[in-house]
Amino acid sequence: MKPTRAWSPYLFVAPAILVFAFVVLIPALANTALSFANWSGTDAIQFVGLDNYFRAFRDEIYLVAYRNTFVYILLTLALEVVVGLLLAGLVTMQGRRTTFYRVAFFVPVTLPMIVIAILWSFVYSDDIGLINSGLRASGLDGLTRVWLGDPDTALLAISVVSGWIYAGFYMAIFYAALQRIPKHLLEAATLDGASQWRVFWSVKVPLIRPMIEVAVLLCITGAFQSFDLFYVMTNGGPDHSTEIITTYLVEVVFRYRDLGYGAALSTIMTVVVVGIALILVRMRTKGGSNDIEY
Amino acid sequence: MTLSTERPAPPLAQQRPLQRRRARRTIAVAGSRTLYHTVMIVLSLIYIVPLGWMVMSSFKSKREIFDAPFSPPAVPDFSTWAEAWERGNLGGYVLNSVIVTASAVTIILLCALAAAYAFSRFEFRGKTLLLAPFILGLLLPVQSYITAQSRIFDSVYLLNTRWVLMVAYAGLGLSLAVFLLKAYLDSMPKEIFEAARVDGAGDFRTLVQIVLPLMAPGISTVAVFSILSAWNEFLLAMLYVQDDDLRTIPAGLLAFTGRHATDYPMLFAALSMITLPVIVVYTIFHKQVIAGVTEGSVQ
Repeated sequence: MKPTRAWSPYLFVAPAILVFAFVVLIPALANTALSFANWSGTDAIQFVGLDNYFRAFRDEIYLVAYRNTFVYILLTLALEVVVGLLLAGLVTMQGRRTTFYRVAFFVPVTLPMIVIAILWSFVYSDDIGLINSGLRASGLDGLTRVWLGDPDTALLAISVVSGWIYAGFYMAIFYAALQRIPKHLLEAATLDGASQWRVFWSVKVPLIRPMIEVAVLLCITGAFQSFDLFYVMTNGGPDHSTEIITTYLVEVVFRYRDLGYGAALSTIMTVVVVGIALILVRMRTKGGSNDIEY
Repeated sequence: MTLSTERPAPPLAQQRPLQRRRARRTIAVAGSRTLYHTVMIVLSLIYIVPLGWMVMSSFKSKREIFDAPFSPPAVPDFSTWAEAWERGNLGGYVLNSVIVTASAVTIILLCALAAAYAFSRFEFRGKTLLLAPFILGLLLPVQSYITAQSRIFDSVYLLNTRWVLMVAYAGLGLSLAVFLLKAYLDSMPKEIFEAARVDGAGDFRTLVQIVLPLMAPGISTVAVFSILSAWNEFLLAMLYVQDDDLRTIPAGLLAFTGRHATDYPMLFAALSMITLPVIVVYTIFHKQVIAGVTEGSVQ
């Protein structure tokens, strides 16, 4: 359609563009420029070419942060997407009266993650924590440990909290997708005497494959950007065992005031996140049609 | 083919056991239903127990929290809540969160609706060029430009004010809002807009009187998603606001935890006070909330 006045589309778009440019677009461009310089924020900006990038690939903590981030991605795929799929299977098994469970599983998604991080720091705490108290009460004193203070368990402990939050979220999107499967596709399988779980794994799950692929994409890109749980529960410790890309980035920029290096670290992160997202989207389109025809 | 001859319909006499089998199945189903709900309740407990423990502990003495972690308080102490609220400045944090969230979401809805309307309904020069940055915004994580963003906000004296979070959250939420609202508008029949034109309505009047009322479902989805993201945002809230009187709930609560590191009853009271209202609101509006969050993220 043509507007009644030639300038009205620009007038409508202008406020959004202005706010977006100020908050996202200009900072994103400036960040790339800054990554080729050294700056502490107060002294003169010094152009150093690709030095910050070379430095990043020799920075052992940064490499550890990547390794931890990838381990975290694998753990959250299992604890969020797979558990979410299992929960969705459970809430769609019986048909009715599952509202209570669905509401309960989704609650953590609505709470500030900081609240959950503080609460779970208590749950994991050595002296008052639910987990150690529970283990002691059941005579399993030998299994108690300082969950967040032990380099062997800290990353897993945080991943469990992430699973506690997001399994319900993935359940909700799988639930919505499962509800949209036409009944007649399921009737045949049920008439043949297949068990509920058989129907779920062999019929329903393949039918919602596109949604599962979206969930995997969301989970991976989300894990790259996670920060709150790590910052509050361990802040990268002990001994960098929970250092992830974002905690290290914030440390470099806001504590060491190494702005150019921080900008380079975030540019690398952007390339990796966008690259992985593009590869996954590519794989989706190559793997056949995006939408399943019923 | 030969299928029909191989499997003839069962003769009448054989249909009786089928009924009996069905009766047995009903009993089995009732049994499995009990099993099913038992499993589901155990799973729900994983969610309920930590939250219940938090609320219960807020009424206990410090001693009881250590000595009897699983028992309810002998004498519930309600004064901790009042103390946490007053000494902890929780009221201030809540007020700041309300102001910041309400302003950011208002800016998002107004700007995104106008922009989505223009992108969806009008042909104009530079349309693709103006739309492209918003696609970039969908992909970029905030961490990828936070270094430069913090310096830019600092240079225009925005840091440590309420404005910084309002503007930042508005900017961060715009990409998704524009796309969701554009998708809703694209799905509307264009006759509606042409009819308004024939009736002599200008572009702006069509937006306010036709588009706005029709978009209620889309607007509420975007609103729920934007409200939750702004209300729960932590990273920018922590980095850009240092003044305790201006802090929002997430950053404020972390400062509170630092100040009262070992006063467990008060910490649990503060957590409960922030959590319970959210759960109440969510339980009332759970359908809209789940739809808003899931649709918002999956787009």
